[in-house]
Amino acid sequence: MLSCIGIVFIYSASAYWSQVHYAGQMPFYMKQLMYLIVALLCFTFVSRNKWLLHERWWRLFYIISIVLLIAVLIPGIGVWRNGSRSWLGIGPLTFQPAEFVKITTLVYLSAVLAKWKRGERVIKFKHFVILLLPIGLIMMQPDFGSAFILIVAAFILFFIANYPLRFYGLCIMLGIAGLAGLIISAPYRLARIQAFLDPWQDQLGKGFQAVQSLLAIGPAGLFGHGFLKSRQKYLYLPEPQNDFIFSIILEETGFIGGLCIVCIFACFLYSGYKLATRAIYARYFYITSALVSMIAVQAALNIGVVIGLLPVTGVTLPFISYGGTSLVILWLTVGIIYLFGATTEGEEEAAWRK
Amino acid sequence: MKWIFKQAQGRLKIIIICFVLYGLAIMIRLFYVQIVQHEELTELAKANWDREIPFQEERGDITDRHGEAIVTNKLAPTLYFMKAQNENVEEVADQLASVLQTDREKLLEKLSKRAYLTKLAPEGKNISAEQAEKVQQMQIDGLYSGVDYVRHYPYGTLLSRLLGFTGYDSQGLAGIEYEYNDVLTGDASAIRLFTDAKGNAMRQTPDEWRQGEGGSTIELTVDIKLQQIVERELAQAMEKYNAEQALALAMNPKTGEILAISSYPTYDPTDYQKVDQSIYNRNLPVFMTFEPGSTFKIITLSAAIEEDVVDLENESFHDQGFTMVEGARLRCWKREGHGHQTFLEVVENSCNPGFIEMGNRIGSDKLLDYIHKFGFGEKTGSNLAGEASGILFSKEGFGPVESATTAFGQGVSVTPIQQVQAVAAAINGGTLYTPYIISRVVGSNGKVLVDNKPAAKRQVISEETSKKVREALESVVANGSGKRAYRDGLRIGGKTGTAQKVENGRYKDGEYIVSFIGFAPANDPELLVYVAVDSPKAQTSIFGSTVTAPIVGQIIEEGASILDLPYSSDQLPKKYAWGDEITEAMPDFIGLKREEMMEQQYTYRIEWHGEGEKIIDQLPVAGKQIGQDEIIHLYLGN
Repeated sequence: MLSCIGIVFIYSASAYWSQVHYAGQMPFYMKQLMYLIVALLCFTFVSRNKWLLHERWWRLFYIISIVLLIAVLIPGIGVWRNGSRSWLGIGPLTFQPAEFVKITTLVYLSAVLAKWKRGERVIKFKHFVILLLPIGLIMMQPDFGSAFILIVAAFILFFIANYPLRFYGLCIMLGIAGLAGLIISAPYRLARIQAFLDPWQDQLGKGFQAVQSLLAIGPAGLFGHGFLKSRQKYLYLPEPQNDFIFSIILEETGFIGGLCIVCIFACFLYSGYKLATRAIYARYFYITSALVSMIAVQAALNIGVVIGLLPVTGVTLPFISYGGTSLVILWLTVGIIYLFGATTEGEEEAAWRK
Repeated sequence: MKWIFKQAQGRLKIIIICFVLYGLAIMIRLFYVQIVQHEELTELAKANWDREIPFQEERGDITDRHGEAIVTNKLAPTLYFMKAQNENVEEVADQLASVLQTDREKLLEKLSKRAYLTKLAPEGKNISAEQAEKVQQMQIDGLYSGVDYVRHYPYGTLLSRLLGFTGYDSQGLAGIEYEYNDVLTGDASAIRLFTDAKGNAMRQTPDEWRQGEGGSTIELTVDIKLQQIVERELAQAMEKYNAEQALALAMNPKTGEILAISSYPTYDPTDYQKVDQSIYNRNLPVFMTFEPGSTFKIITLSAAIEEDVVDLENESFHDQGFTMVEGARLRCWKREGHGHQTFLEVVENSCNPGFIEMGNRIGSDKLLDYIHKFGFGEKTGSNLAGEASGILFSKEGFGPVESATTAFGQGVSVTPIQQVQAVAAAINGGTLYTPYIISRVVGSNGKVLVDNKPAAKRQVISEETSKKVREALESVVANGSGKRAYRDGLRIGGKTGTAQKVENGRYKDGEYIVSFIGFAPANDPELLVYVAVDSPKAQTSIFGSTVTAPIVGQIIEEGASILDLPYSSDQLPKKYAWGDEITEAMPDFIGLKREEMMEQQYTYRIEWHGEGEKIIDQLPVAGKQIGQDEIIHLYLGN
């Protein structure tokens, strides 16, 4: 599993090479390399500290992260950037509590779900309180991308934790009804959807990013223009090192490169879930699969946007996109996954597979 | 607990399947975008990156029927500047200002514009070839010279009111240039410079050349040599008679091809701003409508022969100078009347009461029917911009008086092209052809895109009738009011026309449109020429028939050698041989108003003396024998 992630890492590092042209002073890839070292340290640290397995720590982390989320909203502490108050600044370092909250919420939620005993109702009000509290706070920033990822990951978690299928049927119906209601109440949303379905109609407006992304991908063909030979990165694509890094990868390496990236993520997903199935406790199982799902959802969302399958949302591609804290936290997540997935002995309640 | 584990694992598998399906969707989408849509998106992307330096393809030429270029193009490059590639704007401005000899500040302002690609217009637009060469030698970074053209007119003002002109960006603004702009306009070629979003050249993408396509050439039915003759004659007439306007139309009566078309005053298409828009926007032979006067009598004559209500040679008619129709007294142009005459002489003399009689015999409904069948009251379908349809009486309003005036060409309003179309049918054997001026449209690759052929609308009269009409009109030239168009050895037929101008529904005092329509050879017409002069004035005032008949005669005579018209020995002899002094008794003009005198169709030249409305004296006195071309003196008073 680690080797797979290693490939992802190598790739991510090399992809930054292409950004040399972009920044004048300190190249992005250098910064990113530094962060990667920090991230790997975090990974080793987390994956070896067995005390982190204990549930009470995670309850504490959950509470701390909620507090941080609230702190972000307080003017003076939170930092505005790109129109939302998502960052928390400590000296020169800034980070997004939302990234952190996603992990703590899922881990804590897993712990609560694992307490289920035969004969009890599966659905509990408590679960939703734990989930909706951080989501509400994230939406207030607002950061819809993070909120969306958390919701989807949580629903996958519920699903794995044997929530009845009726619940999902109900959710889908509610979702469709809600969507219909939103469109009826505000017709401009229909225009948004149309812009997504046919971005060419409004190339310079709402469809701009989607169109530019397609213009990067299309001409690349089977093998791409070759390494460092992206064209669209020359200021046509917004944030080429960030949200649309996958466009650049596709542009430089073509269809084949795109397939490789998708395959690597598939490997990550596969090994992650394999780890999960080897977990000795239900709680471990839930945590591992929930966190793997979270990363997978984020990747799926980003790739979907880049290739025009999904409407534009500001979500980065895990491990590959530029962003220091994001990278550190991702590796932290991987560390947690490894910690819970690979631990084979425990003193808590009886192992569930026996 | 084991079953929960199993179930949870089962659920996990479903999730995995979902992700796998999504992964497949990604791959399919990638395949679609990168492989299937590859070409399409590449083209779009290039369009997104490139800054094009246009190499204007040539606008299509306009040629005459033999391919002789009437309008063509002249190379005149245009300069473009890419600021991103040269920040040293001040220096560029200095260099350019000296070559182009323009204001340095204005140039600097243009060069400093925050734009990817600035067209240096108007200073650097359509510069001369020498200037372009000088600029090229300076090798200024970021400065490009794009190929551009301006219109070139080898024949100057010739045909300008038909052809129109082009504007600043070579777009057609009037006439054929405007009407057929899409056909004439080419698709520009260009150098495609690929740049990033800030305008810096993209190193890894080589520049490309996009091949455009030149505009199509329009071949007119016009014969440039005949056109030159026509315009020369009109120019002379304008000068000689100090006329307001003049127009001419020459057509092949057997096909409807327009061989010459002209309006005066004319203008220079390279300097169109100098004249009023009514000059360049009005192509008079299709735009102008007026009372045709006596030329319209050809229609009445044709109808009468076709209906077999008159025998030209063996039937006679007595003209007493007027006819009473429903209490209205309709006068002949000759006050004392033409007396006893055959119907052929009625035609030769252009006698109004004689034509009223013919109209009467045809019947008003039938006459109106013939007028419509001859194509009056509707556009001819010539496809010439700005064509009018003219005004006729409606069937309900067409009473005996209207019928009578229409029979000799008053009370209707028609365009010259309608008259030419109708007369062509009357003399070509009876078939009405749609007049046309676009012969062919040929693409820049030599492919013929449009190939117009003569289009017959309908048979109006029989060949037999047409033959009689031709003979009658030939004798008009040989013996009657058209004798100034007579040419030895050339069989010319024709008819004069004079009509008072109408303004705001009322006749305008003292202003006339005089016209003549003539054709040759009379036995088998191949050339039909119509000339009209609006408001001729002269010291020695002249009757309508004498202004235009000689012009048409001249055009036909010179046109005959261009079109190879046959000369023949069996033409109708002119009644009087050249040099013979033909005399007749001087009519009594005393008491006539000056305006009334203008409607006469005598061939005398008149010198006016004194001021006033009425003629109080004349020289020579009435009854004295005088020559037909003699000058007579009329004295005015109140």
